Amino acid sequence: MDTATELIELLGEARVHTHPIDRQIYAKDAGVSVGDPAIIVLPETTEEVAAIMRIAVQADVPVVARGAGTGLAGGAVPTQGSILVVLTRMNEVYEVDEIGRTAWVGPGVINLDLSNTLTVFGLHFAPDPSSEQSSTVGGNTATNAGGPHCLAEGSTIAHVLGVEVVTADGDVVMLGGAAPDLPGYDLRGLIVGSEGTLGIVTRVLVRLTKNPPNVATMLIAFSDINDAARTVSDIISSGLVPAALEIMDRSMVQAIENFVKADLPLDAAAVLLAEVVGHADGVAAEAEIIRGVAEQNRATEIRTATDDSERALLWKGRKSAFGAVAQAAPDYYLNDAVVPRTRFVEVLEEIYGIADQHGLRLMSVFHAGDGNLHPLVSYDAAEPGMKERVIAASAEMVRVAVAAGGTLSGEHGIGLEKREMMSQVFTADDLDAQARVREAFDADGRLNPGKVLPEGSRCFDRPPR
Amino acid sequence: MTSLRAVTLQLLNRLRDDSADIDAEYVVAPSSIAEAAAILAAAAEAGIPTAFRGSGTHQGYGTPVSADLVVTTTRLDSIIDWQPDDLTVVVQAGVLIDALEATIATRRQTAVLPEGVPGSTVGGAIAIGLSGYRRLRYGPTRDRVLQVRMATGYGKVVAGGSPVVKSSTGYGLPRLVTGSLGSLGMIGDVTLKLWSQPMSVATVEVGDASAALRDLYRPLAVLETSEGSFTYLGGPEAQISEQSARLGAAARRGLVWPEPITEPVQLEFRVPAAYVADAVEWIRRLGAVRWVAQHGVGIVSGGFEDFDVEGFTAARSWAESVAGAFVVTSGFGETFDPWGSPPSSVGIQRRIKDVFDPAGICNPSILAGNL
Repeated sequence: MDTATELIELLGEARVHTHPIDRQIYAKDAGVSVGDPAIIVLPETTEEVAAIMRIAVQADVPVVARGAGTGLAGGAVPTQGSILVVLTRMNEVYEVDEIGRTAWVGPGVINLDLSNTLTVFGLHFAPDPSSEQSSTVGGNTATNAGGPHCLAEGSTIAHVLGVEVVTADGDVVMLGGAAPDLPGYDLRGLIVGSEGTLGIVTRVLVRLTKNPPNVATMLIAFSDINDAARTVSDIISSGLVPAALEIMDRSMVQAIENFVKADLPLDAAAVLLAEVVGHADGVAAEAEIIRGVAEQNRATEIRTATDDSERALLWKGRKSAFGAVAQAAPDYYLNDAVVPRTRFVEVLEEIYGIADQHGLRLMSVFHAGDGNLHPLVSYDAAEPGMKERVIAASAEMVRVAVAAGGTLSGEHGIGLEKREMMSQVFTADDLDAQARVREAFDADGRLNPGKVLPEGSRCFDRPPR
Repeated sequence: MTSLRAVTLQLLNRLRDDSADIDAEYVVAPSSIAEAAAILAAAAEAGIPTAFRGSGTHQGYGTPVSADLVVTTTRLDSIIDWQPDDLTVVVQAGVLIDALEATIATRRQTAVLPEGVPGSTVGGAIAIGLSGYRRLRYGPTRDRVLQVRMATGYGKVVAGGSPVVKSSTGYGLPRLVTGSLGSLGMIGDVTLKLWSQPMSVATVEVGDASAALRDLYRPLAVLETSEGSFTYLGGPEAQISEQSARLGAAARRGLVWPEPITEPVQLEFRVPAAYVADAVEWIRRLGAVRWVAQHGVGIVSGGFEDFDVEGFTAARSWAESVAGAFVVTSGFGETFDPWGSPPSSVGIQRRIKDVFDPAGICNPSILAGNL
């Protein structure tokens, strides 16, 4: 029996796709790389995922897991004629433990849906990537996704307590759990951020965060981006850890205002969004401290919102950034390099220089509090040679960030896109150690081959598949 | 093999450190990670079981190890690079927690390393995976180990993680190494994420710890102890007054942590946070002299004068029945496994051990499942 027939026998025809149109639909994520899955399957249970894996082992075919496909680094692009396991149907929220503040959820649960489901408990799932309306908890786990609010809350890794995983052999294991510091190695900590290369996550035990009783959001405009940067530094050294500190630069503000009327100050060189949460008096006190710091650093305008509708208006600009970019040109490309926070102004300057040299239009919106940049190039891929030029420029930008003491990715992952850049931040011995980890989980290299680690990472490499 | 072993030991002799009173054939104190890696390469080649040691405050944690060679971090005792404005510090494994915290406190920062473990090293706390009481607010120590540089069991210097506060770049080696108890190699230095200290802090005695946890937003810690229940607050002055008013109790300035547990037998329940009250019942019934329960975290630790095999066995089966663990951290007998049942992932755990320590020389069998 061939592999497709076996899979149809397991899942039924409706959940196994091999038609060229389906294969084209599932050939890419939200990034620029394109693959070609041999077979697309949509399991609904852990047992089905395990059975799919055993079929793949039998047939010696690679397996790639995917959620909503919002990833930007090509982590879920099915290469090497793989079986693509689409986990979006596993979207149940199983158990919510209100006291322990945890929930078991399927990997296909959409990030924002989860938080909306939890409103009745006064709880939410803290990671809030820009893709929150469509990205899945499984995908967030695979990429160790972040978002504006991970400045105070930490990335997805801090909110995934346990995972149920189908291993490369088709076994089902539980890693981590609701109890802290369980004996043994923290394999959960390896799975999160491993981009589907160590196992397929079939259930996630998420840590839930109490909704803050009060929130204040401030929009602060500056005529010089250095003033914005100093404000961020001064806020943090004052002892405050705001819930979010986001900066939009001049070109981003202008693009946003062209797209939606978010009432952003068009003459500003930088707009800082700061949010503080807590009990009422504490929030008021913290907002006052931020105001003082901002005024000292020559803020040109400060708006404070305390009710939900005012807050939504202040966030509207930030949340419209990607739409604004899409309106400016048909395609966009961004990387998410991280730099030490104190270096972001100089690195941004260099990054704009690179864009100028390549004749590209760049705008920037980023997580200033943790130095996670998002230089965004808007372009038209139909223009011959344009995509290549954009990718080359982006690679130069990442190099500048690394040279400033940073790293390749803050929240998107390495995937296919930055795989060959890994040697910029890791030595051959470092990469070999990571390849050993992969070998311990997946000795045959079946899971998501050709991602994350560059070719030849393991000192004694097995022949490529 | 014997001659290789002899030559190796001779070489090790040159790095010998007899200043510490340690019961092992050889005690060496490398002054760099590269030296540590060379020592481990030689030890692996010669098959010499090797243990690691910081200041020795937690020696005996985990299954007992018999080692011919002890490698200490005494000479790895520098704070290499502190960047207060980036909230990071690179620190060698042998630096004392108190010394690090005192240094960075000059800019009102904290590494949130465990409180009340005087004389312990940074490397030791990370190797064990120790977190302090402020875990409720700041998360476990392993969330703050951004990068680790180690000498592996196969004798290489390896760095994992990234030097910045946020990263999705490669596998999370720092998380693997945190809590691995030296079974994969020796930690040389780490980059830690720092936090600014809250503007003010206070300790409030409360009647009901669970209620305090429910009613407060983001306390630093909520502890129920054999001496009473306490809530620890941090933030602007206004927030502290508001919260202590809410608790209906007077706030004492500063953070007054429980005295360290010093009884000969020490153990921990590690259970889902929803079971803390049950674990408190258990530890009382077992007759703990002193105990501390971390509400919202799930750790209930206690000190005992005597070892109670029957009681501890029953407690362990309860803890494991609620997907938790019952871990004896000090003073267990020869016959009692400090960890309990091995994790269901023991197969992958074993393979991880094998790829990082192929010769099986690093703290052999110290971990659950004899890893």
